[in-house]
Amino acid sequence: MIRHLFKLIWNKKRAHSLLIIEIWASFMVLFGLASLLVHNLSNYREPLGFSYEYVWVVDLNNNQDTVAVAEKTQRIIQRINAFPEVASSSRMSDNSPFSANTMNNNVERGNRKTMMDFYVTDEKFADVLEIPLASGRWYTPADSIGKYRAVVINQKAKEKLFDDEDPVGQLLGDKPKGNDGSRQQKIVGVIDNFKAKGEFMTNMPAIFQQLDAKESYHKKILVKVKPGTDAVFEAKLVKAVTAMATGWSVDVDHLTESCENRHNLTLVPAIIFVIVCSFLLINVALGLFGVLNVSITRRRGEIGLRRALGATERSISWQFVGEMWVLATFALVLGLVLACQFPLLNVFDLASSVYVIAIIVAALIVYLLVTICALFPSRQAAAIQPAVALHEE
Amino acid sequence: MIKLTNIEKVYRTSSIETLALTNINLTINAGEFISIMGPSGCGKSTLMNLMGLLDAPSAGQVEIDGRIVMQYRDKELALLRNQQIGFIFQSFHLINDLSVLDNVEIPLLYRKGDATGPRSVGASRRQLAQEALEKVGLSNRMKHFPGQLSGGQKQRVAIARAIVGRPSIILADEPTGNLDSAMGNEIMAILQQLNTEGSTIVMVTHDETMAKKTHRLIRLFDGAMVGDSKLISDLRFGISDVSAGNVISEPSNPKS
Repeated sequence: MIRHLFKLIWNKKRAHSLLIIEIWASFMVLFGLASLLVHNLSNYREPLGFSYEYVWVVDLNNNQDTVAVAEKTQRIIQRINAFPEVASSSRMSDNSPFSANTMNNNVERGNRKTMMDFYVTDEKFADVLEIPLASGRWYTPADSIGKYRAVVINQKAKEKLFDDEDPVGQLLGDKPKGNDGSRQQKIVGVIDNFKAKGEFMTNMPAIFQQLDAKESYHKKILVKVKPGTDAVFEAKLVKAVTAMATGWSVDVDHLTESCENRHNLTLVPAIIFVIVCSFLLINVALGLFGVLNVSITRRRGEIGLRRALGATERSISWQFVGEMWVLATFALVLGLVLACQFPLLNVFDLASSVYVIAIIVAALIVYLLVTICALFPSRQAAAIQPAVALHEE
Repeated sequence: MIKLTNIEKVYRTSSIETLALTNINLTINAGEFISIMGPSGCGKSTLMNLMGLLDAPSAGQVEIDGRIVMQYRDKELALLRNQQIGFIFQSFHLINDLSVLDNVEIPLLYRKGDATGPRSVGASRRQLAQEALEKVGLSNRMKHFPGQLSGGQKQRVAIARAIVGRPSIILADEPTGNLDSAMGNEIMAILQQLNTEGSTIVMVTHDETMAKKTHRLIRLFDGAMVGDSKLISDLRFGISDVSAGNVISEPSNPKS
């Protein structure tokens, strides 16, 4: 019977072409949506790699003041640490967790090269964000005077550059060159994940470089406050900092709110996409439903004939459902040809498994959709009285 | 054998009740070739539908090969239709999107395993369909589509489809109605041949000439059986003249 249905649909392929295109388009849209959702969901299931509760970001801006910026920054940090409400603090580059700023560059090791997110932080960064170490250690003040610049990488970076080899103690990058005094980097520790842009971010290869206290450029301070610390302290903190550095401005963000905002940046477009897709699918479903209804009305004679030749009500019903499955299969074959290009050509740099799961999910939804659309009309077809249908033609 | 006892068929709508058949008592023996005649609207097709198990009578009893089918469920009726009955229609009822061979195969697609053999598999279905088409002289048109055939050829395809499952009963509803006399004669010859091979054939016709070629003529008028004549055109006896008409009753006024 399956072969019979394939023949029936294939021989009417021209008449069915618009229907096939409609199902194909639905599949492609669903594939896109499923890829987005699967990608975000698989990211969400990966641990974030750090804790941001009770952590505030104090963003210092020296504005026009260019005098002793690094020293003033260090004094501000010391003042912040002196508050009893503060558990610990850490100075870092502008790309603090959940911020829109990104720093990345290619890192080479031998003939391997990978794009990594760069973070410049001081020694207390791991403590403030409670980042567990997978191996090695975080850098210490003693590392700042070493021959090499101490760096910590994450597990993803290790996989990209070292495979199963232990990276701790290994050197990264070319030998020093130029006159800026830059040092070759030495890995002192490895952490697991670090998804700075939030739960929905891909766990990218990351490298943490030790911040030089004399640098004036990096002026973001992560402040871990004690539980129960409220907005009154925030005002007190801002007042104290602005009093210390005249002309400077201070912004304070709470990482919990930044995280929520960051999630919304991912979730809102996804939700809009889901709503748009839902409307599209409803339209497609109504279209299929209408086409099937018309088709059944036009094929009453055939239905009567099949009943006369031995088809039960059930087999008539299944024939129409089966025909829709065959149509969906033709559309999916076309869709698969296109969808398979995404993992093969590594479009959007997503894992192949995301596309594979998305293809399966989209195909299942398409089959479910056509089945639901076919069920009612197919029951109508089954209810047609053969004696009446045979004499209508 | 088909046996109809006290058959009555009433079509009801919310406002009208139409008596299509009344008090039909008819026994058709295995191997008979029967024609049914009567004016349009007299209930010929309704009677065929009841014999073909495509419709249920409002009253009375239908027996096929000794089995009373009144209590049969849809599945059992479908099985009986598939294995015991072949249908031929005036308008052929071929599926235009399938080739001749695929059209002929259709009854075998619904065949389930039972005493007549296991579920038809693809190759054996194809073989049976080819044999049926050879029997009606269309072995050279298997790959053609219905739209590429003449009326006579289409009806021969319909006959091949009716006989492919080797049913014991063939019900033909005006099989020559859409054909010219030459093609009609060709179709009639095939039906006569099938009858000589053992098939029981019931044929509805408006054509007296065609009816005279059968063994027995049933006449209907206003839903009642008004004549049941034994003809001596039985090819088994090599005679082709009508011998006698046996009128059962004068038409009363069965419509209500």
